[in-house]
Amino acid sequence: MISLGHFLTIGGMLFAIGLIGFTTRRNLITMFLCAEMMLQGVVLNLLAFSRYHADLSGQVFALFIVTVAACEAGIALALFVSVYRRSRSLDISVWQALREPGLLPIVDREPLPPPIQDSRDPHLPVAGRKPQRQEELSRV
Amino acid sequence: MVVATATIPMMAGQLIGASLLGVLAFFFLLPRPRGQSLALGTFFGLASLAMLFTLLFLQFGQPSSDDVAALLFWLFACVALIFAGVLVAESNPARGAMAFAFVILSTCGLFLVLAAPFLMAATIIVYAGAIIVTFLFVLMLSHVEGPSDENDRSREPLLGALAGIAFAGLILFALLSPGSGLAASQNGVLPAKVSHHPLFIPPITPSERQLLLEVAAELQKAEQMDRDQLLASDYTQATRDQLERLLGGIPDAAATDALTWQQRLALTRADPRVRAIIARVDRVRDLTRETFDQVDVALIDEMPPNLDRARSALKSLRQEILILAGVGELPSRNVGTIGFRLFSEHLMAVELAGVLLLVATIGAVLIAGRRGRIA
Repeated sequence: MISLGHFLTIGGMLFAIGLIGFTTRRNLITMFLCAEMMLQGVVLNLLAFSRYHADLSGQVFALFIVTVAACEAGIALALFVSVYRRSRSLDISVWQALREPGLLPIVDREPLPPPIQDSRDPHLPVAGRKPQRQEELSRV
Repeated sequence: MVVATATIPMMAGQLIGASLLGVLAFFFLLPRPRGQSLALGTFFGLASLAMLFTLLFLQFGQPSSDDVAALLFWLFACVALIFAGVLVAESNPARGAMAFAFVILSTCGLFLVLAAPFLMAATIIVYAGAIIVTFLFVLMLSHVEGPSDENDRSREPLLGALAGIAFAGLILFALLSPGSGLAASQNGVLPAKVSHHPLFIPPITPSERQLLLEVAAELQKAEQMDRDQLLASDYTQATRDQLERLLGGIPDAAATDALTWQQRLALTRADPRVRAIIARVDRVRDLTRETFDQVDVALIDEMPPNLDRARSALKSLRQEILILAGVGELPSRNVGTIGFRLFSEHLMAVELAGVLLLVATIGAVLIAGRRGRIA
């Protein structure tokens, strides 16, 4: 026998972790994936209740959620392309001029760390000889 | 056997401990230029996960009496939560998309444990496409070398983690508190290792389902007869007899529910799962009486006889009976029953979803096709 509470808990945890990601991360693509993960938590809830009541309505609603998620993905990715064309960046904070009046802007004070030079990449030594091009004997 | 008992304050203490560990985990894991610690974050995250699973096991018991299903549940739940954390904490969006793929796969495993094979397949197919498209976008749009603003900074890591975990903790507290009815408690003492709410005993036996399907087939035959055949045949009495044997008596118009409501209340209280099925059986029973009354009125009393109305009444009765038969087919014939319900009960919603997809497609083309000013 499967108990309901376990599945509700896992669904709630997925929703909460997605919520953390959506509120804290600044990359638009990561935020989008986190929103999709919240939807997964909701679907899990619906399916658990569907099994609990032995009624397929929950699965039907979950199917509609998948449909709406597909619409959302299409619109979101189109918006990302449009936003990227204007600002050349996926950073959501570039658009913070759209915030409410009276809120202070977020300023990044800490400098970013320098890029890590990855020395593990293989370096190919120059080997062999440059092939000689054959001189054309006759020119027109 | 040691009967471990946990009181409500102890449960709340464990919950608060797991939540605090979770907040610390996300605080240390979220990317930012200074103060990020992968080792500490991983340690706190795993500790929080272990505490959460211990709490679940102590309060709700095993998820399933079937060992294989229980093992699958713990495995998929663990993988889903770990990779969800990786998706939130990973600074590289391509790796985040990979982690999201693992989250999807393991939630699909949970769908399978919940007897939803069609939805599992649909989700894998839809999200496999979505993840590949997302990869395309990551490769196309973020070709940043080294650390960047969008990937290596977070907005308010501490407050965000606090908000999310507080949300999860409140949900868990509501689930675990005795008022929810999920964790059985007597005088504040929670018995351990008891599966309180078993899910799914087949509510309708195969023979009952077979009978229901036969009745539905008879009704379908009756829908195609003309008036004289309908009046001559004894389908009404036969169907009534069969349904009566199955559902336990079709009340006359005068009879009220006064006799059965106490039994029904007792049954509902004993097992809330039964509520939906009882309601459906009641609906079918009432509808049977109404339908046959309507057919009689439409064929005999009205001049000229209204054959269409009789047919539509029979059709709606047949649909209800088929849905009732489908309740017993939850694990098997999943696709067929979902399809039937989609196109009988939720036809309007299906049409609306189609319109929504169309509008979304047009909107995506319009938004992405517009030439913006390049900064």
